[in-house]
Amino acid sequence: MYEYIVEMRNITKRFPGIVANDNITIQIKKGEIYAILGENGAGKSTLMSILFGMYEPDEGEIWIRGERVKILSPNHAAKLNIGMVHQHFKLVHNYTVTENIILGMEPIRKLGGLIPYVDIKGANKNIAELSKKYGLQVDPTQKIEDMNVSLQQRVEILKMLYREAEILIFDEPTALLTPQETDYLLDIIEELRKGGKTIILISHKLEEIKRVADRCAILRKGKLIDVLDVKETSTKTMANLMVGREVSLEIEKKPAKFGPVVLEVDNLRVKNQEKVEVVKNVSFKIHKGEVFAIAGVAGNGQVEIADAIAGLTEIDGGSIKLNGVDISKYSIRERTIEGISYIPEDRQSYGLILDFSLGENLALKDYYKEPFCHKGVLNKDAINEYGNKLIEKYDIRSSLGVNTQVRQMSGGNQQKAIVAREIELDSPLMIFVQPTRGLDIGAIENIRKMIIEERDKGKAILLVSLELDEIMSIADTIGIIFNGEIQKIAPAEELTTKEVGEYMMGVTA
Amino acid sequence: MSEKNMDKRKGNTFNRVILKLLGNEKWQHLTIPIFLIFLSFIAASIIILSLGKNPLGAFYNLLQGAGILPKPSYAGYKSMLTDFLSLLNYMTPMIFASLAVAIALKGGLFNIGVSGQMLLAGFFATILIGYSELNWVIAKPLVLLIGIIAGGILGGLIGFLKYKFNINEVVSSIMFNYIIQYVLSFFIHSYYIDPVSRQSKYINDAARLTLVNVELINLKMDISIGFVIAIILAIVLKQFFDKSRIGFEIKAVGANSKGAKYAGINVGKTMILTMVLSGIFSGLAGVTYYLGYFASIQPKTLPSVGFDGIAVALLGNTNPYGIIGASFIISIIDRGSTYMSSMAGVRKEIASVITGMILLFSACSAYIQYRIRAKKDSLAFMAGREAEE
Amino acid sequence: MDTLIIDGLSFALPLFIMAIGGIYSERAGITNLALEGLQGFGAFFGALWAVVFSHFFNIPIQKLFYFALLLAMVGGMLFSILHALLCIKFKANQVISGVVINILSMALTVFLTTQINSLVFGALSDKFQIGTSVRFTVPVLSKIPVLGAAFKNLYPFEIVILVIAIIAAYVLNKTRFGLRLRACGDNPHSVDAAGVEVFRVQFKAVLISGALSGLGGISYAYSISTNFSPSIYMGYGYLAIAALIFGNWKILPTLGACLLFGFARSGGYILGQMLEMPSTFSDLIMTLPYVLTLLLLIFFSKSNRPPRALGEIYDKGKR
Repeated sequence: MYEYIVEMRNITKRFPGIVANDNITIQIKKGEIYAILGENGAGKSTLMSILFGMYEPDEGEIWIRGERVKILSPNHAAKLNIGMVHQHFKLVHNYTVTENIILGMEPIRKLGGLIPYVDIKGANKNIAELSKKYGLQVDPTQKIEDMNVSLQQRVEILKMLYREAEILIFDEPTALLTPQETDYLLDIIEELRKGGKTIILISHKLEEIKRVADRCAILRKGKLIDVLDVKETSTKTMANLMVGREVSLEIEKKPAKFGPVVLEVDNLRVKNQEKVEVVKNVSFKIHKGEVFAIAGVAGNGQVEIADAIAGLTEIDGGSIKLNGVDISKYSIRERTIEGISYIPEDRQSYGLILDFSLGENLALKDYYKEPFCHKGVLNKDAINEYGNKLIEKYDIRSSLGVNTQVRQMSGGNQQKAIVAREIELDSPLMIFVQPTRGLDIGAIENIRKMIIEERDKGKAILLVSLELDEIMSIADTIGIIFNGEIQKIAPAEELTTKEVGEYMMGVTA
Repeated sequence: MSEKNMDKRKGNTFNRVILKLLGNEKWQHLTIPIFLIFLSFIAASIIILSLGKNPLGAFYNLLQGAGILPKPSYAGYKSMLTDFLSLLNYMTPMIFASLAVAIALKGGLFNIGVSGQMLLAGFFATILIGYSELNWVIAKPLVLLIGIIAGGILGGLIGFLKYKFNINEVVSSIMFNYIIQYVLSFFIHSYYIDPVSRQSKYINDAARLTLVNVELINLKMDISIGFVIAIILAIVLKQFFDKSRIGFEIKAVGANSKGAKYAGINVGKTMILTMVLSGIFSGLAGVTYYLGYFASIQPKTLPSVGFDGIAVALLGNTNPYGIIGASFIISIIDRGSTYMSSMAGVRKEIASVITGMILLFSACSAYIQYRIRAKKDSLAFMAGREAEE
Repeated sequence: MDTLIIDGLSFALPLFIMAIGGIYSERAGITNLALEGLQGFGAFFGALWAVVFSHFFNIPIQKLFYFALLLAMVGGMLFSILHALLCIKFKANQVISGVVINILSMALTVFLTTQINSLVFGALSDKFQIGTSVRFTVPVLSKIPVLGAAFKNLYPFEIVILVIAIIAAYVLNKTRFGLRLRACGDNPHSVDAAGVEVFRVQFKAVLISGALSGLGGISYAYSISTNFSPSIYMGYGYLAIAALIFGNWKILPTLGACLLFGFARSGGYILGQMLEMPSTFSDLIMTLPYVLTLLLLIFFSKSNRPPRALGEIYDKGKR
């Protein structure tokens, strides 16, 4: 008999420039829910990727069920009955549920006893049974691209169960879910534990750890800080240990003072590339000095609204008025000049040109204007001088200052650079899409504070976020979107998290 | 230090030498291409050796044939200088063609249609000016102008098709290559054929961009006017990409078209502009080829220099100065091959094999760079650890 | 009418098999512009061994037909290793790799052909004569009015191609390998997470595209030119790519596109003959498939959906 089903002893993993895991030891008992808590970049995912065979540790040992093992590949991990639901789902979009689940372990039958083929029909039946057994309702013949995030996650869980996994790793499983979906998932996790599975839950959300986990390992900057019994620890203590100092995520916020309307969106319609209407007759207004947040589950049209206002997507109907001027026919640059700052969701492919220098990126929206450009010739000195000013003002850290290639910078500093550039445009309307995604707590605090500051300076702010906490803590007005339609617009103080969650799933009509 | 560690060190010597040679990032844009050419010549040596010939002798003949080293004897009115001038004459269209490829690559586009654009430009310049009786003062600039217009329009059309209809520029360029090749072959065969040479009729010298058989110090040399223009334009282009607003926009679209769009750059317009510019240089390559180095057009044949330009552009790291250097090297291989073939008995087609090989290795240069960086990082890391201990 | 169908088919089918090769590679996520070079090298390789064997073992070259087909597939596959290595191992830009391979293929085969001709056979030629392939007519079916022509004067390679095409379609759509291959082109990470080596699947896919291109190339060598010569590089590979783009990376619609090209070409020739145009006009007719390609691309490029991960350099670490 063994005491621990999973033991990782003295694990060290280095990447060029950083030690992602520094001498970490964790011991997990069979049938427990073991949480791994830490900020982005604390080394949680690396540690679990090692357990799942995606990386080889530089030092240390792994023991599974009392035996020392070397896990060489995800395939090998699966043979040891380890399964993992990744943060970014690993699904084939144009395949059915069944095809996705059986991929890599396809049941084979032989045509006329000779020619092998994949037995999809038989597999469909098996998957249907499996889904019934664990209460994870899915249609085996549905295609992934037609499913929402929560259903896709069920497919990922079924994938593990199909492989008869006993040790289930969940990497930030609730990041994209509504509160209600989160509840459902946590119930499932508890059910699975009752069925004898061992569960490792990677998360930075304290409430859910508090709710389901038995024990919790806290990582910070690659080091194991502590392993705690969750029942006996307050979330406050966990938070402080995770960050390494006293934290308060409560933003101090003066009451908003609304001015005149800055942005007026009227009956906006947007179609995506497949000609499907993803934004349907959306109307709202944002005033001077107001943070208007759009809440919704990922992929319900909120990003398309932001893109349409900024001009990155063509609109199919309706109007967008900025300070009373209809800008819906304007080019992107004309809108920027008219007064829109935009911090896009995908900062690496939209917000920055990674191969360009930090200086060039900081001037990316102004490079064509005096003093940066005179009669078609760029003035590198002026661009760099401006860059240095912003680097100082916004505390953007990089190795070579304005000459740093942005690709070499950390995510937090990349985001700082974008925010700095957009704030400096001094536009009456600022659009923030997922501004704190993937950042550590220090950076999150910083950016949220800046948003509030801009509001207090009299900017109109449109915030699109998938983090309900973020929306609840900084929005003045909340619009909730589901399936391309705004379900509800109300002042933030009149809505509870639970209500917002319900609107997000379109349950309250 | 333990023995085991010593062994490890020894095994790394080769890596270390390569790192030492190629590791300095400041010089990488020079050292890596030289390394690639070196590799290609090793590969070529293997082929030549397997044919039972002496590779070093062959390469020596190559340099002699190109006018870099003296031949044992020369025909009347010829010397190493005339050979060298012919080399520059040969090199001129290659510089233009490679710059055309490089412009497109900077803008994230792949212009494999340089050959077709060259042919079209050469054809129009030939029939409109080459066969006219215009005085050279008017004829020569007009030839350049027609080259610029024809190449620019065709390049722009390819850019337009990509922007408007989402047609991959590689596929459309290739289709145009074939269409132009056959259609022009039809016209040349129908109206402009010289029955003896089976090529288009020779153009008048007044329109030609190379001054042929200029008698000076008892030598007959070919002086390329185009070469001077090519060098000047390469310098201009370098400044254009480093300093100008439009150059910045082209590079932004090439590096990240989504990011460029977000920044307010009109991506479609920039893409078309990039292709027009690339086409202009192709056109110049065409006129310096068909109305400079040659004086007639061989029907149904695409100039291979349009494809060699891809190799040269990659080898020169899309830097105009690098391209001048790379053109020089590739031209030597091409020009010297005939002499090498007659002296060393290796078929002259080996020249394009060597070029192809350089091309092949150039395609991996980003990987080499990446590996060197990774290797350096891990070495630096280990060194750091050791220092700590 | 008969010639329209007979010539059309003999042009369309080799194109089709190359396009299937392209589909294999591209649905596995590897852009393959190298088809042109692969078909040329395959044809070279097949023709080379046929000529060598017939010369040294005194076998009549017509008897070596199937041998040449097989060797052409081997040759195409061998050369495709380069593309696979460049794209998968060395993470080169896949478009550039493809074009580079085409240029190298042409340079290498022309050099080797002339060199081997002068060294081995003492001849100054850039061709390998492999003779014409015998043709046959299916007895009963060929009597069907109009469509019967499809069974007249068939080249044996047409049958080989059809059989291989059917197998290829089955493998791609019904088998384990096919399922994994298509998954690689949509989301390679899912394949990796399922414990399947993405690189291996992609490598195999590229090799298959090499083999099928080689078969296509030698078929052209047998039908259009009766020899291997540099004129094999006529852009067939690029036409095959255009065909698979119209076919939306699916096998059956791609067959339709290939047939369209084939009939456009043979139709053009017949038209030229009927109108008694001088021979120089054949140059204009030659442009028909290319013009058609461009026109079709204008209409179809916007609406088609390439495999999601096509052309992406797969890096395990990234998400």
